[in-house]
Amino acid sequence: MQYYLGVDIGSVSSNFVLLDEKLKLQEKVYMRTNGNPVEAIKKGYYKISNNMTSDKLIRGVGCTGSGRTLASILLGADIVKNEITAHGIAASYLYPGVRTIIEIGGQDSKLIILKDEVIQDFAMNTVCAAGTGSFIDQQAARLNIPISDFGDTAATSSQAVRIAGRCGVFAESDMIHKQQMGYPVSDILMGLCEALVRNYLNNLGKGKKIEAPIVFQGGVAANKGIKLAFEKILKMPVDVPEYYNVMGAVGVAILAKEAVSKSGKTNFRGHNFIQTGDFASNSFECKGCPNYCEVAMIKRDGKVLAYSGDKCGKWETTLHNLAVV
Amino acid sequence: MAKIGIPHSLFYYYHYPLWKTFFEILGVTVITSPPTNRLIINKGLNLAVDEACFPIKVYFGHVEELCKEDIDYIFLPRMVSIEKKGYICPKFMGLPNMIKAALPNLPPVIDITIDLSKTDKKLKSDVIKIGQLFTDDNKLIKRALVAATNEFYLCRSLTKQGYSMSEAIKVWAGEEVNFSKANDLTICLLGHGYSLYDEAISLNVINKLRNLGVRVVLPEYLERKKVEEYAATVPKRVFWTLGRKMVGSALYSEKNPEIDGIIYLACFGCGPDSLIGEIIERKVKEKPFMLLTIDEHTGEGGFMTRIEAFCDMLKRRREIIYEGNFSTYG
Repeated sequence: MQYYLGVDIGSVSSNFVLLDEKLKLQEKVYMRTNGNPVEAIKKGYYKISNNMTSDKLIRGVGCTGSGRTLASILLGADIVKNEITAHGIAASYLYPGVRTIIEIGGQDSKLIILKDEVIQDFAMNTVCAAGTGSFIDQQAARLNIPISDFGDTAATSSQAVRIAGRCGVFAESDMIHKQQMGYPVSDILMGLCEALVRNYLNNLGKGKKIEAPIVFQGGVAANKGIKLAFEKILKMPVDVPEYYNVMGAVGVAILAKEAVSKSGKTNFRGHNFIQTGDFASNSFECKGCPNYCEVAMIKRDGKVLAYSGDKCGKWETTLHNLAVV
Repeated sequence: MAKIGIPHSLFYYYHYPLWKTFFEILGVTVITSPPTNRLIINKGLNLAVDEACFPIKVYFGHVEELCKEDIDYIFLPRMVSIEKKGYICPKFMGLPNMIKAALPNLPPVIDITIDLSKTDKKLKSDVIKIGQLFTDDNKLIKRALVAATNEFYLCRSLTKQGYSMSEAIKVWAGEEVNFSKANDLTICLLGHGYSLYDEAISLNVINKLRNLGVRVVLPEYLERKKVEEYAATVPKRVFWTLGRKMVGSALYSEKNPEIDGIIYLACFGCGPDSLIGEIIERKVKEKPFMLLTIDEHTGEGGFMTRIEAFCDMLKRRREIIYEGNFSTYG
């Protein structure tokens, strides 16, 4: 069997999938990035390729998520795509005819409107991350509820309390107030879910027509409370796909297959490159001009693989020149 | 010979050729601050009041940087209005005062008030007064003003070749400017010139788009008459000059078959943008429209994601439209 590897390195989670020739999902890994994407990529690759007999079986690699460039440096990608396109591709492949994708991740939330399998419009949260996974995580920790139980607890509520959803800071003070008044935790949690959904629809859904079928994906889709709140407020059924938390990786794996079928070969660097190398990343402030760019570099066994963050591209070019020599 | 400093910021991107020509004909040397860089941004952020928008904050940095030069005057015009019944954002009106309050040791300031909202007579006599600081020859001053106006229009006409205003100024000054002429897609990119054409403020959005194979159509490129015609279709006349230009440009682009999509680059702290962006978002229904918000952050990740996704979407949509057309005929 041959595989296409899809990698989605997000702010909070790192996801890996293997699709077969028929684009059926064979393996998936969902893990926390824990602030160290290099380590996450290494570990994730190790986990997902563990049962594979040879790395030659990987026919193509696609990378997405905010860490997509980094992942493509370490793994050698055939395609590097933004997560909006990747999510759209995955959802329209698994749910032909889908009209609306709600995607809520660790720091980002997105709304994607499709028609005839093509993205027509999208929105992404701008300057505020209230209502994304990391805020829910934080509130769960404050109430001492494991994040895995958050949704189920909220779902038991019969009467959600009203919580301000405009801003995470206000939502938190509202929650504390309601908690000190003696409202049950489940009602507060459900109230928070509804507040977040209202915030999402006000921010991202502004001026957009949300039509069924609706697919809800991303890490937060695990939260039953949020799904219920969406259904209640939109008055429409909301589907959570089986692989809701790795949909970005699925999408980019599909794109990797497309890319490889065009190019005829893969850029995948192979098993040894990732597993045996000692990867280190560090950064320095370039003093070349008053921009003082923070340049990050990725090294493998002391040899620089890539530079990033330099506005003028000076460091990146030195690397290419060296490679030619 | 007297030296005058002009900050490389804000209305520099519209009016620099005008003032440079004017002063040079009067025998004054014009010195500018360097293009915006991190150092200037940091200085500006430290000096400016918190409520100001990002480009205004950056302006403070430019003024401080310029003060390091050996200059006799610093030119900080007070922009109130550049056309009849149209206004610039009120922050510009108070800008010379804000600068003087933040930077006490300025060289002598020339803070001419530019207010064309009612008449241009006052401005002309003010400009002549400025000229008289450097020469007694009133005829020369008047000639300088005519020449300056001509150079201003000459420079702006370069934008018809696809140059941005910052590139047009470079070309006007004799520099060579190359940019990718790809045109897989045509996107109308709107925004206040002082954000759009400052590469550091706009996170170089123009070239980022060009590198993705986009032909970027900027507000100056669009036919002025058409822009005004479309701007007049909104129920209440927009009295912000730049805002009205944006609304007109967006509505005109929506109907212009050359253009695949529209992007509006707005500043997080901009009062007019918060309304203009909203008006455009509500009015433009037939073409994809995206609002990009910028502020002082340097994390370009989310910015790039949006631009890429927007271009991907336009390409995919067009492919489908073409396929659709072929199938009807084949």
